[in-house]
Amino acid sequence: MPGPYPGRAVRVHAEKSIDPGTGKVDLGTVRQMLSAGMRALTGDARDEDAWARFLTPKDVVGIKVNCSGAPRIRSSPEVVGAIVERVLAVGVPAENIWIYERFQNQLVTVPYRDFVPQAVHIHAAEADRGSVLGYDPKVYVEANFFGEEDTRSNLMRIVSQTLTKIINVPNMKEHQASGVTGCLKNIAYGDFSNVARSHRNEKTNTYSFIGTLASVEPVRSKVVLGVMDGLAGVWHAGPFSNNARFRFYPKELMIGTDPVAMDHQLIEIIEAKRKAEGAISIFNQSREILGDNRDPNKNAYIREAGHVEYASKLGLGVYDAAKIQVKRIEL
Amino acid sequence: MILLALAAAIPGIFWDAPPDTAPALKEAGIRRILVPAGQAAGWKQVEGIAAEVADPAKAVKLRTPAVNYRFEQASASRVPWIDCNGWRFLRQPDSRYFYDATGALAAMAAAEALAWGADAMIKTDPAGLKPLAEMLTFGEGLERAGMQPLADFGFIDDGSSIAGEVMNLLVRHSLLFRVVRRPDPNLKLTVQLGSKNYPLEQAKNPGAMAQMVRADLTDGRRSLRIYGSAVVVGRLETAAGRLRVHLINYDGAARKVSGLRVRVSGEFPKHRLALAGLPDAELMDYEVLTGATEFTLPELRTYAVVDLQK
Repeated sequence: MPGPYPGRAVRVHAEKSIDPGTGKVDLGTVRQMLSAGMRALTGDARDEDAWARFLTPKDVVGIKVNCSGAPRIRSSPEVVGAIVERVLAVGVPAENIWIYERFQNQLVTVPYRDFVPQAVHIHAAEADRGSVLGYDPKVYVEANFFGEEDTRSNLMRIVSQTLTKIINVPNMKEHQASGVTGCLKNIAYGDFSNVARSHRNEKTNTYSFIGTLASVEPVRSKVVLGVMDGLAGVWHAGPFSNNARFRFYPKELMIGTDPVAMDHQLIEIIEAKRKAEGAISIFNQSREILGDNRDPNKNAYIREAGHVEYASKLGLGVYDAAKIQVKRIEL
Repeated sequence: MILLALAAAIPGIFWDAPPDTAPALKEAGIRRILVPAGQAAGWKQVEGIAAEVADPAKAVKLRTPAVNYRFEQASASRVPWIDCNGWRFLRQPDSRYFYDATGALAAMAAAEALAWGADAMIKTDPAGLKPLAEMLTFGEGLERAGMQPLADFGFIDDGSSIAGEVMNLLVRHSLLFRVVRRPDPNLKLTVQLGSKNYPLEQAKNPGAMAQMVRADLTDGRRSLRIYGSAVVVGRLETAAGRLRVHLINYDGAARKVSGLRVRVSGEFPKHRLALAGLPDAELMDYEVLTGATEFTLPELRTYAVVDLQK
């Protein structure tokens, strides 16, 4: 990260990609969106050439999904299935593809198996919630936020030891602590253990911790592509999706290699939706906003939406809106 | 003399039921009990079980070791409340102690007493006999001779309740100390409540005081660090070229800890794990680093002892 296309984001919208009434995703449309987005990002005329820029047949490919809002809002199995099709087309064997997430209890609620070959691994780091066994004891970030005894956040073992490339597939969601949860948070808090300790009461340390984790090697080098699933999203009380009122349907895939540029676009999407709903900005850090977040003008935490800009200072991508090139495609 | 010391280090089962309950004890594998004076004559007639008179009224009564999550109470901390008696053992090392623990909690009581080498008797119910007997058998298999507690700092204990609660919080954070009368230059730090560095007013929040001590000691100078669980408490014992790590899962009666990472100061290439309930388990990801050794326990049900050697 930020890869070969810093400051670039491709946003593909397709009205018929999802039926908000039923939640049913049109797989054929998703395939078209992915194809159009990848070709626009790379400038290649053929999908094969576009994908071959990022992967080789010898790679072991991880697909980092996001299931924290599952079962309602998650990296759609149709989107993940379409990505797996393209990875297979590059020549990567199915057994060298890993769909992964931290928590087994969330992962199992999403039917990825129905959309990928049997040989594709579907892997969670924590079959037992809180277990350290799925994490690499040698790769960690150590920080003491609130006097917690366990001051380490360890990287998932498959990321450090097995995968050679990672495709990051976050959702379009507001986040109660970090403002938004997109590419950066999905690859940071989604790949490391023991991260919830960074929030306590209304205080959250996501401002610097997200970028710090995302910049750890080998995470930073292995993440080669982001495909943000915005078919459905959450504009308030994320990353969970317990309240239907706070779901929305951008009907969009965003594609790029720069997580900062993509997350800056996500901020704009979430802010626009919140404004349309009459909700306060995610950048409002007044203590007056603290309260029961069933009210979209209240929140449990002082949000740290500045974490995206902070990540740019670590060299993870381009935050300056004037320097971000956005390509919009309508299908 | 050594044999006497060993016997004192193994907790005893206090059993006040009549001798006709002997078959249940034998089935659980129990061959030695402590009984009230009034029951002694009857138990002397029972073959296969040695009975010794003991009086719980003369012992210090302890809380049952466990974790109390207190979901129903608001608090400033997410850290679960651990009922741990370690501070009592440190305050009164020569006392005799008494637990009243039923079912699987009896094994927790035994594990705690073993870890601190406390002279304890444990009263339990029929459901607790087997787990208790298994834990005592585990303890009997541990070679204890020559090991001394390892402390990073000294604590001047004035015997007050507030000092006791600070000691309790220090133990629960596996901050290793021993009670001293005056500063010991061999220790990294001395804590005296009411001193300039540790004002009595601040000790009214014992959790915050424990954090102050931790900050002064610094994590880098701690001889023991535990990663992966908020309900495990550890302590260390040492002898020439050897280090023993005691680890207790205080939630062990309810659930195991799946994976635990441990770091100790010192370079120890040799190791041996004794894990209660899992005799064939091996340490994982063992690393001898510069000035430290790290390893992972695959799981921790109640109690583990890791012996390290240079």
